[in-house]
This record gives sequence, structure tokens and C-alpha cells, in this order.
Amino acid sequence: MSKASNALVVSGLRKKYPKVEALKGVDLSLPQGEIWGLLGPNGSGKSTLLKCVVGLVNPDGGEISVLGQAPSRLTKAQIAFVPEVENLYRWMTIRQAIDFTATFYDDWQEDRVEELLGFMRLDPTKKVSSLSKGMRARLKLILALARKAPLILLDEPFSGIDPASRDRIVEGIVRQFKSEEQTMIISTHAVGDTEQLFDGVVFLDEGTINLKGNAEDLRTQYGRSINDLFKEVFA
Amino acid sequence: MRRFLQLLKKDLQASLLPVGFLSGITIILFGIVRLKMASSAWPMEASLAVIAIPLVFLPLWLLWQSFQTLRSEWREDTVYTLLVLPVPGWYVMTAKLLTIWIEYTVLLAVIIIGTLTFFTPLVRFGMQVVPGISWVLRNGILLYLGSLCALASVVIFVQLAFVVSKMVGRLQGLVALWTLILSGWLVDRLGVLLEPAFRWLPSLPLHKLFRLEELEQGVVAEWNLAPEIGSWIGVLAVLVLTSYLFEHYVEVNG
Repeated sequence: MSKASNALVVSGLRKKYPKVEALKGVDLSLPQGEIWGLLGPNGSGKSTLLKCVVGLVNPDGGEISVLGQAPSRLTKAQIAFVPEVENLYRWMTIRQAIDFTATFYDDWQEDRVEELLGFMRLDPTKKVSSLSKGMRARLKLILALARKAPLILLDEPFSGIDPASRDRIVEGIVRQFKSEEQTMIISTHAVGDTEQLFDGVVFLDEGTINLKGNAEDLRTQYGRSINDLFKEVFA
Repeated sequence: MRRFLQLLKKDLQASLLPVGFLSGITIILFGIVRLKMASSAWPMEASLAVIAIPLVFLPLWLLWQSFQTLRSEWREDTVYTLLVLPVPGWYVMTAKLLTIWIEYTVLLAVIIIGTLTFFTPLVRFGMQVVPGISWVLRNGILLYLGSLCALASVVIFVQLAFVVSKMVGRLQGLVALWTLILSGWLVDRLGVLLEPAFRWLPSLPLHKLFRLEELEQGVVAEWNLAPEIGSWIGVLAVLVLTSYLFEHYVEVNG
């Protein structure tokens, strides 16, 4: 897999909901093997963009290319998606949720599961309904990171969870991310501690891209951290 | 196949609680009626009416369940999980259809076993007016198979109505209702339209199939299959369409 090729290419992407135009012709190409931050305030179109890529929302216009292919059942098999919402079956135990997900993906790595369960401090016999929000967030991340998916999309993985869980998730991402095989896009409106994760960032505001670039280059160019830059752009 | 079975297992596990609850309610109801009958507290007609409640309620519950099984995926946001799975839409739809069939079979079995257990004298009395146990078993199985087909068509129409309603941003309830009415009408029209193509098929002699002459001499009941075949092709087309729309056009709530 060449690092020069793109994991995701989006051109002229538009999406309009009944009351709001979420994406207004977004053009974006993200290289393989890197972690990108999709940054913007609430309602900026971050989630809609990720939903379009994974096939949860149908764009009104534009094109999407995931690892060189148009979105389809084949690209779904190559994407590990963690939505912002609680998408787990609450009546399942953690083990059942893991077994359920494992059935559908050929890139599932059973040996990673036990390691991740231990690292995330989750008891597989517990029911999803009995977990705290932070624990459910960690479980969702396990279901994504236990796969060797070429493209990982995390939609607001740190939203509304306790600092301890957030730190564990950040550490989990750092430990499990395989840059030679995977690309990760993390959408968030809280840059803060997560800034260290990003190789590149995209600032999205009201459905359009404000700023995009290599994180280190942007820090050098503007002489401040990505977090400060974020605050300035969206002040 | 492994993936389809996993979806089926998931739907069956999700239906354990409601099916268990309804089975329990049915047994309790039968137990109460049995006690009332034993103490002659209720007249026979009232007891029979109460015994029939689960059987009358069953189709209504299944209709609601065929809608509910999809609605709960959206309400609980688990549709996010379903829609990103790399499986064809018909896996999801037929897993839900099979689940409804199994729920129906389990509840029907509970009603039959409950009736046989709690109301043995009534059953014995009923057996005196029918030709025999083999006749009852044969016709029971035939009616059961027929009811599975009827139930499948209802579930498939409800699935289409629900899926189409999730493709629009507004007036989803109204869209679902109109889709239900329109798809039913279109399938009926298709049956009429294709009827000449299947006119060569002989009518099905129901009186022979159900051995009705053993009940009453000279009874003749035939079923003209020609328009039914077209309608069943239409129902299958609705299932294919629903699966396609679910996989390619349905959206999560914005």
C-alpha cells in the first residue's frame, strides 16, 4: 500500500437536510497511513461527511472514493466506523457484541480483542445496558480497533465522556493504529488533548472547508497549536 | 450464510422477552379460565370467548411486531450498526421475516399446548365432531403453512412501507401509510394483469386437499390459482425492492 495514494477522496460533496445544508460542495483528499482530525463546531457537517463516506447518508451531489472505489458493500467491509450515537444492542453482553461484530468482518483479529478488553478494562460478561457512557465508548472503539480495517472513521469518540475514559481511548488509538496499513479520521469539536494524535487536520465550518493541512506545517506557519488555531478560527 | 444466521440469532434474541411475556400471559389467562370453569363461575360462552382472545390477538401483535422490529432499530440507533454491515439488504429483511415466522410458530404452539392442557374436556368434545385426529393434524398443518404465506405477505408490505418512510425527511407516517396502500393495490393489479399467463394452471381442489367430504358429503371448494401466482410474484418483487432500498437508499435520521 503506497503512502502516496489517497485513502479517501471527496469532490464537490453536497448534502441538504430539510432545514439545513450540511455540506456545500466539499473537496477533500486524505493520504493513506495517517491520522487526520476533522475539526469543527457542532453542526459544521463533520458527522454528515463521515456518514456519507460510510453509506449512512446519501449525498445530493458530488463523488466519494474510498480506497479507490465508489461507496458500496465492498467499501463497507474496508471501513471501521464508530458513530457518535449509542449504536450497540443494549441487551447484549460485551462478549455477544464482540461475537456479533466479528462475524461480519474478514479482517477481524481475535488476538487483539483480549488485549483491548484488558487495556480498556472491560468485563466481557457485563451487559451493554449496565455500562457507563465512557465504558460504552471504549467498547465501540474495541469493535473498530479489533479489525485490521484500512480506513477507520471515529465520529466524536470523546464527546461527553469522562477524562479517564478519554485518556484510555487516546492511548488505545496510539497503541493500535498501524500506520503502514491503516488510515484514521477522527471528527471532534474538542481538540484539546487529542491534538497530539493528528498528522493532519481539516477545519470544517457550515459545510465548507476553512483550512486543511499537515498539523506540524500549520503549527509552524501560524506559530501556535492546533487547539489555539481552532479557537481562533471558530471564535 | 454465517452472517445471515448471526442476524437471525440477533433478532431472535431480541424477541425472547416479548414472546416470553406473551406466552406467560397466555398461560396465566388459560389458567384463570380453567379455574373459573371448574368453579362454574363463568358461563361456557364467556369462557370460550376468553380462550379465543390470544388467537384473535396474535395476528394483530404480529402485524405490530413486523413494524416494531424495524422501528426499534431506528429508535435505539442500532440501525447505524445494521447499515454499515457489509451484507446485502435481503439478509436483514429476511432475517426479520423469519423471526416473525418463528415468533408466530412459538406463540401458536403455546396456545395449542395450553388449550390441550387446560381444556382437555373441551378438546375431547371438539374431537367428536371432526373425522379424526389424523384429519385434524393434516388440516392443521395445511392451515399453518397457508397462514405462514399470508403472514409473510403482510410483513413484506409493512417492511416496504417502513423503509420508504425512512427515505423521506418529513411526513414519514403518512408516506408509510400511502406506501402500504399503494403497494397492496399494485400487487393486486399485478395478479390480475398476469392472470391470463397462468390460466393454464388447474384450480386447486380444496375439498380434496382438506378432505372436506369426510366432514360433509358433496362439499366442493376450489381455488383459482392463476391470479394468486401473479400476486405472489408481486410480493417477491416487493421483498427484493425493499431489500435494495434498505441497502442503497435508506438513511439514518439526520
